Amino acid sequence: MECVVQGIIETQHVEALEILLQGLCGVRRENLRLHEICLKSGPNLGAVASEVRLICNLEQTEPTWTVRHIGGAMRGAGAEQISVLVRTMVESKASKNVLRLFYALGYKLDHELLRVGFAFHFQRGTQITVTVSSVNKMLQLHATDEAVPVTPGIQLVEVTAPATSENYTEVVAAVSSFCEYLAPLLHLSKPGISTGVVPTAAAAAASLMSDGGGEELSS
Amino acid sequence: MPLKWVLHWQPNAGTTVNSQIINEVTQCVESINGVKEGRWKATITFYKPMIREQTLAWDFPRDFLGIALPEQPNKYYLIIRLQRIVLEADSSIQMIMEKLQSYKSRLSLNFEGFQYQLGDFQLRVGKVLPTHSENLRGIVMEVEYLPISSMEKARQVMEDFMDIWQQALSKRSLPGHFMHMEPNFAEYGLADQYTSQHTAVQYATVMAQLIATVQAVQARN
Repeated sequence: MECVVQGIIETQHVEALEILLQGLCGVRRENLRLHEICLKSGPNLGAVASEVRLICNLEQTEPTWTVRHIGGAMRGAGAEQISVLVRTMVESKASKNVLRLFYALGYKLDHELLRVGFAFHFQRGTQITVTVSSVNKMLQLHATDEAVPVTPGIQLVEVTAPATSENYTEVVAAVSSFCEYLAPLLHLSKPGISTGVVPTAAAAAASLMSDGGGEELSS
Repeated sequence: MPLKWVLHWQPNAGTTVNSQIINEVTQCVESINGVKEGRWKATITFYKPMIREQTLAWDFPRDFLGIALPEQPNKYYLIIRLQRIVLEADSSIQMIMEKLQSYKSRLSLNFEGFQYQLGDFQLRVGKVLPTHSENLRGIVMEVEYLPISSMEKARQVMEDFMDIWQQALSKRSLPGHFMHMEPNFAEYGLADQYTSQHTAVQYATVMAQLIATVQAVQARN
């Protein structure tokens, strides 16, 4: 399982966000360059239609592959009341021929994306990952070198944390409380519920850029 | 990693495998000073596509296997033999396959037995049994040569060892012999340096042989 929230930020404020995150997390950023291939089961395959993501990490000298399955979100009155999405997620690293295998099994390419940006991995009540990336589409099949932004000038921010059915309430609390620190720059909500950019972003960004860091906020 | 050959027991025409053969083979390993070290177990699972329109069944692979090997307890191997694809993944790929509900496990076979040390060689002799059953389906043997990981460099020493082994075993006049069918690893994109993917491919090849043997027996009857 994982807990996840998403938000968007204008590219011009990304540098300020990075300074803030750096101050809050106290770890170095990691560069992100992920080629994400979304596959769907062919029309006749499977008890139900299914979807799987193959993610190729292009930051590594030798690209590495991960298979990711995102399951259904937790439902019920309790789930609706919390501001964080809790869903099943299973990942497995795989060797580089994984796309060929899934094609052979009867999966078809649905779409592909290139995410370029950075990530912070840190411990704050729980293990949290923040990714800030521009989402790009390919004009030609697998042509990651010629990718163009899906939403120019806007970047996607995603906060995720691994959880189990036993501890998810604590993880949700840790993620929610972390998100409050980012509130002046962006609003984070459950995926699919877009809340747009926040009006205070420009002022908050200007302030962060002038005092040169988020030390004050992290204390 | 050290290279190995995976062999299977080929019964003589008109005979089948039985546990007496396993006992004889084990005694033979001990007679050439093999030191018993412990148990080992590998598992092969056959997957079948879950399809909505049965007439389209041929569009999907019918030889899709998953293999768990004791040498890599956190990994899982997926193989489509006719298309020469072998994939190495984390064990969690099994959970992903389950969640996708596009292929389901049709049958699982365990390969299990004892491991023996014999100088620079490690031998594993095992029964092939369906899970939750004692119905013997075959016998396998792994011969691992610890000092070398190049398939080609080790070929001579492996062949020499097999000669000695077949000689020792022939004294027991068993109704069959161990057979080594080396797959064409290059077709699977595998190089000369041995990896666990080579082991997985060998198991898939052995499995195909065992099925062919069973089918031949059934055809005769």
